[in-house]
Amino acid sequence: GSCPGPGPKRGPRWERVLSVLLVSLLCKLTHSLYFHIGETEKKCFIEEIPDETMIIGNYRTQLYDKQREEYLPATQGLGVFVEVKDPDEKVILSRQNGSEGRFTFTSHTPGEHQICLHSNSSKFALFAGGMLRVHLDIQVEEHTNNYAEIAAKDKLTELQLRVRQLVEQVDQIQKEQNYQRYREERFRQTSESTNQRVLWWSIVQTLILVAIGFWQMRHLKSFFEAKKLV
Amino acid sequence: MGTRRRSVISSPAGLFLTVVLSQCLDLIGAFGQNQDTELTFLLPAGKMECFYQTASKNGSMEVEYQVIAGAGMDVDFTIISPIGYQLTSEFRKSDGIHTVEPTEEGDYRICFDNSFSRFSEKMVFFEVILEGPGGDAGGEDDWADIAEPESLLEYKLEDIRDSIDSVHRRLERSRQMQMSLRMFEARDRNLLEDNLWRVSFWSCVNMLVLLGVAFTQVYTVRRLFDDKRRVRT
Repeated sequence: GSCPGPGPKRGPRWERVLSVLLVSLLCKLTHSLYFHIGETEKKCFIEEIPDETMIIGNYRTQLYDKQREEYLPATQGLGVFVEVKDPDEKVILSRQNGSEGRFTFTSHTPGEHQICLHSNSSKFALFAGGMLRVHLDIQVEEHTNNYAEIAAKDKLTELQLRVRQLVEQVDQIQKEQNYQRYREERFRQTSESTNQRVLWWSIVQTLILVAIGFWQMRHLKSFFEAKKLV
Repeated sequence: MGTRRRSVISSPAGLFLTVVLSQCLDLIGAFGQNQDTELTFLLPAGKMECFYQTASKNGSMEVEYQVIAGAGMDVDFTIISPIGYQLTSEFRKSDGIHTVEPTEEGDYRICFDNSFSRFSEKMVFFEVILEGPGGDAGGEDDWADIAEPESLLEYKLEDIRDSIDSVHRRLERSRQMQMSLRMFEARDRNLLEDNLWRVSFWSCVNMLVLLGVAFTQVYTVRRLFDDKRRVRT
């Protein structure tokens, strides 16, 4: 069903905040994308991000229960192994989490980061040839902000909070654009390098061809003269 | 600032407690979120990957995908509704965009198939943009509970709030378009880097073939005359 509304309006404020946040968390991961992982399967996702960017991934697993013929929350023994590699193939995060959790990392070099998930079941009997259902949600930069926290810490009114959100959004777009400019420059360099290589190689090839032609003729001529045919 | 009730949250202890509890409950990103998902993944050769997205009744779901790396740069794409009816089916396309409206209650299945390719692995980017029945992203921006009470006059507030909401939605859309353009650029870049490698490789092969043919020609002609010479005498 759809997400429930704001929640209770009475009671101490922090209680209301907590209950709303709790409901939102459950609601959020209920509506996220999910996929299936086999026992030894590894699923990898790529995130191309600028440097000094934070990424937060939330996940939740469910295991297929043959008796009840539905997916139920996985038990403690069934965990998910998360591995994050930076653009230089160096592992920057390697964690073994429970069946439900969150992983965070901040990039230090711009480029393609690889986030790989595979199941880490210590009890293979539980798996029994079934599939593990993983709900995954990966958030970048501005979307990682917890506005409830920011509102509480800086004591902001609703309007101030919304404007703060807009500022963060624009910041992220600007950061992306800067990164885009850097990538476009690299792209242009590769393009020019390819162009040069093609041109240079064609010229060298032609010269080699002509040189070989001359050599062949000269060699065969001297060969025939030596054999007294010419 | 107007009158502010002294609540638990004003005290340092209450604040600390809230922060700690929210950390424990893994609540980063719970508020101000849209429910849109964007993922880039590797699809090995000869395999199929399916993703499932839960949708609510009478909403809308937009799916956009692009193949950004891999020889051929194409993939099969299907969307299957919760009851098993195949809504879209595309073969060997490099990018596409589909909107399902109105959506049924249940899990939609979004599949990418690379079975037709025997050797090349594809990198596929896709994003799913969901909207609730009211045309909004599903009650994300109700912050009246968590923020301090307003001290401005109420009747002006609604206007300001509406325009801020509109700006927020447009910025989200800008960001999504930016992502889409970025994926096109990534695809072009990958293609170009492949081209560079291919140019270098085939140039080397070309030169080796050239030299090989040249020497073979000379050798063959020489052998031809050597044999005749021996036959004559």
